[in-house]
Amino acid sequence: MAIAGFFVFITTMGLLQSRNVLHSVMFLAVEGLALTAMVWISGPLTLTTLSIGIATLFVKVGVIPGTMYRVISQWPTEYRREHPLPFWAYIVAVALVLAVGHVIHLLTPSGLILHDSLFFYGMASIYLGLLLIISRRHMVSQVSALVAVENGLVVLAASVAGALPTFMEFGMLIDLLVATAILVWMSRRIRWQFNSADVTDLKLLRG
Amino acid sequence: MEVILYGLGPLVVLLLALLGNRYAAPRLRQMVAVWVSVVLVGTAAWSFPGVMQGHWTAILVVLTNLVAATSAWDSVWWGQEHPNMQPRRYYLWWALFWASLITIALTHDLAIAWLAIEFSTLASGALIVEMGNRRALEAAWKYIVIASVGLAMGIIGILFVYGSLRSEGLGWQTLDYANIKLHYQTIAPIVREVATILIVCGIGTKVGLVPFHTWLPDAHSEAPSPVSGLLSGILLGLCLVTIDRFVGAAPLPTATLFSGPHLLLIFGTLSVLVGTLALLVQRDIKRLLAYSSIEQMGIMAIGFGIGTPWAQGAALLQLVFHAVIKSTLFYIGGHLSVVYDTKRMDKITDILHLHRTLALVWTVGILALAGLPPLGLAYSEWMILQALWESHLIAVLFVLSASLVLAFAALLYHLLRGLWGGLEVVVSQSTATFEATRRLDKISDGGGVHP
Repeated sequence: MAIAGFFVFITTMGLLQSRNVLHSVMFLAVEGLALTAMVWISGPLTLTTLSIGIATLFVKVGVIPGTMYRVISQWPTEYRREHPLPFWAYIVAVALVLAVGHVIHLLTPSGLILHDSLFFYGMASIYLGLLLIISRRHMVSQVSALVAVENGLVVLAASVAGALPTFMEFGMLIDLLVATAILVWMSRRIRWQFNSADVTDLKLLRG
Repeated sequence: MEVILYGLGPLVVLLLALLGNRYAAPRLRQMVAVWVSVVLVGTAAWSFPGVMQGHWTAILVVLTNLVAATSAWDSVWWGQEHPNMQPRRYYLWWALFWASLITIALTHDLAIAWLAIEFSTLASGALIVEMGNRRALEAAWKYIVIASVGLAMGIIGILFVYGSLRSEGLGWQTLDYANIKLHYQTIAPIVREVATILIVCGIGTKVGLVPFHTWLPDAHSEAPSPVSGLLSGILLGLCLVTIDRFVGAAPLPTATLFSGPHLLLIFGTLSVLVGTLALLVQRDIKRLLAYSSIEQMGIMAIGFGIGTPWAQGAALLQLVFHAVIKSTLFYIGGHLSVVYDTKRMDKITDILHLHRTLALVWTVGILALAGLPPLGLAYSEWMILQALWESHLIAVLFVLSASLVLAFAALLYHLLRGLWGGLEVVVSQSTATFEATRRLDKISDGGGVHP
C-alpha cells in the first residue's frame, strides 16, 4: 500500500514538473493505476473491493485521462504547452512537503493516523495538488491538479480509516467523473471562445 | 416513502428533459413547472405536521421545493426571453441541481451532505455554462475550481472525523449527525478542532463566507436568473445549515480559539462587513443581489455562531425570509436586465413608469431585503441583534448594526435610482410649473427599451 501511495506522490511531483499537458494526462493514468492496485492489495479481495477497484480503473485510468487526451490531442501544439512554474512555487512546494511532517507530529498522539508513510504521501499529494491549482496557468493543468487532489484524498483516507464506506468511494468517483467531464467540456469552449488555454486570460469579471 | 416522494420530483423532470424532443420548448417548460408545483403541494401536505412542530428538515424541504417551483415557473418566462437556450439540457442540469438541493436538506449524514454539495456545484456550474457567453464561461470555471478546492478541504475534515470514529464499526452511519453527537468525545480535541476548521472553511466556501467568497458574485450574476434564485436563495443557506449541523454535533470547549461558533462569528462578521461595503459601489443589478447574499449569509452565520436556541431560530427565520425574497429579486432582476438589454443599473432607470408590475415587485423585494418593518427580515434581524446583546457580543453587535444601516441606505439608493433615476426636472420659463421629462432617448441609446 505504501508503494502505491508513493507512486501517487511521485506522479504528483511529476505534474509539478511537466510542461506538456499531454504528459500530465499520462501522469494521471499512472496515479489511477497505483490507486487501483492500492484498493486491491489493501486487504482480502471481496466483491466490494473488486468492484471499487474496477470502477477506479475504469474512471481514473480509462475515462478521465482518455477524455482529456482526446480533447487536447486535437489542439495545436502551442495550446498544449504549459508556462514554466514560477520559482516561488518550488520553495512553497518544499515547505509544504516538510510541513506534512509537522502535521504527522501533531496528530500522532491522537491515534488518528493508522499508517504514517501513507498519510505523508496522501497529505503531500493534496498540498502539491492545491499548489498546482494556484501556480499553473493552463486550464488542463488545473483540471489535472484537481484530479491529483482527489487521488491524494483517497490515499489519505486509506491512511486514517483503512477504507471508506462503499457509497462514499463510489460517490467520490462519480463526482470526480462528472467534474472532469464538465471541466474538459468547458476547456474546449474556453479555448474556442477566448482563443487561449491560459486561465490568466479569464479577466472579464472582477471577482 | 420519503425518498420516493422527494426523489420522484427531480426524476420526472429528468425524464421530461430526456424525452423533451417530443414536445415544443414552451410546452416542456410548462409541464415541468406544473409538475414541480404538484410536488410542492405534495411535500407541503406531507411535511405539514413537521413544519408546525418547527422541525428544521421539514421546513427546509418545503422551502427548497417552494423556491424550486417559483424557479420552474420563472424558467417558463425566462425561456421565452432566451429562445436560443437548449431546454432539454437546461432541464437535465436543473433536475440534477434540484435533486442535490433536496438531498442536502433531507440528509442527516455529513458524508452524503458533502457529496450532494459537491454535486450541486457541478450541476449549477453546468447551468451557468449554458448561458454560452464568455462571461458565463469564466464565471463557471472560477466557481467550479474554487468551490472544488474548498470542498476538498472540507472532505479532509470529514475523513478525520470518520477516521476517529472508525472503531464504532457503524459503516456509512458513522457520519450521521446523531452518531457524531453521541461519540464526539472519543474524537481527540486536536482532531476535532482541525476537522472543525477544515469543514467550516471548506463548506464555508460554498456558503460564500468572506474571505472564501470570490466566486460568488461572478457565478450568481452570470447564471440564468431562475438558477440564480435557487443558488442564492436555497443552496447557500443549506450549506450553512450543514455547517451548523456538524458544529452542533461535535462541539469544542468554549475556550477553544477556533471552535465552530467562533469561526462562524468571525467569518459572519467579515461577510456582513464586506457584503455591505460592496453594496455601496455596485453598478450591476445581479452583482448587487449577489453581494447582498454574502451580507445575508454573514448575518445567518452570526446567528448560528451565537448558538443559543433564540439565535438559532432567528437564523433559520432569516434563512426562510431571505430564500423567498432573494429568489424573487433575482427573477425580477433577470427580467429587468432583459427588458433593458443591460445589467448596468445606471441604464435600468425609470422602471416605475415603464414597467409598473416589475417595479412593484422589485420595490417590495428591495424594501424587504433592506429590513424595513413589517416585512419579514426586519424581525429576524432584530432577533439576532437581541441575541447578540444578551450574549454580550458587543463588538459584533456594533458591526452588524452599522452594516444594517449602511445596507439599508445602499439598497434604498439603488431602488430610488432605478424607480425614478431617468426623470429629468425642467423648469418652464413661462410658468412656474415643473415638467417631468423622461430621458427615454438616453435609455434607448443604452440598450433598446421595450416599453
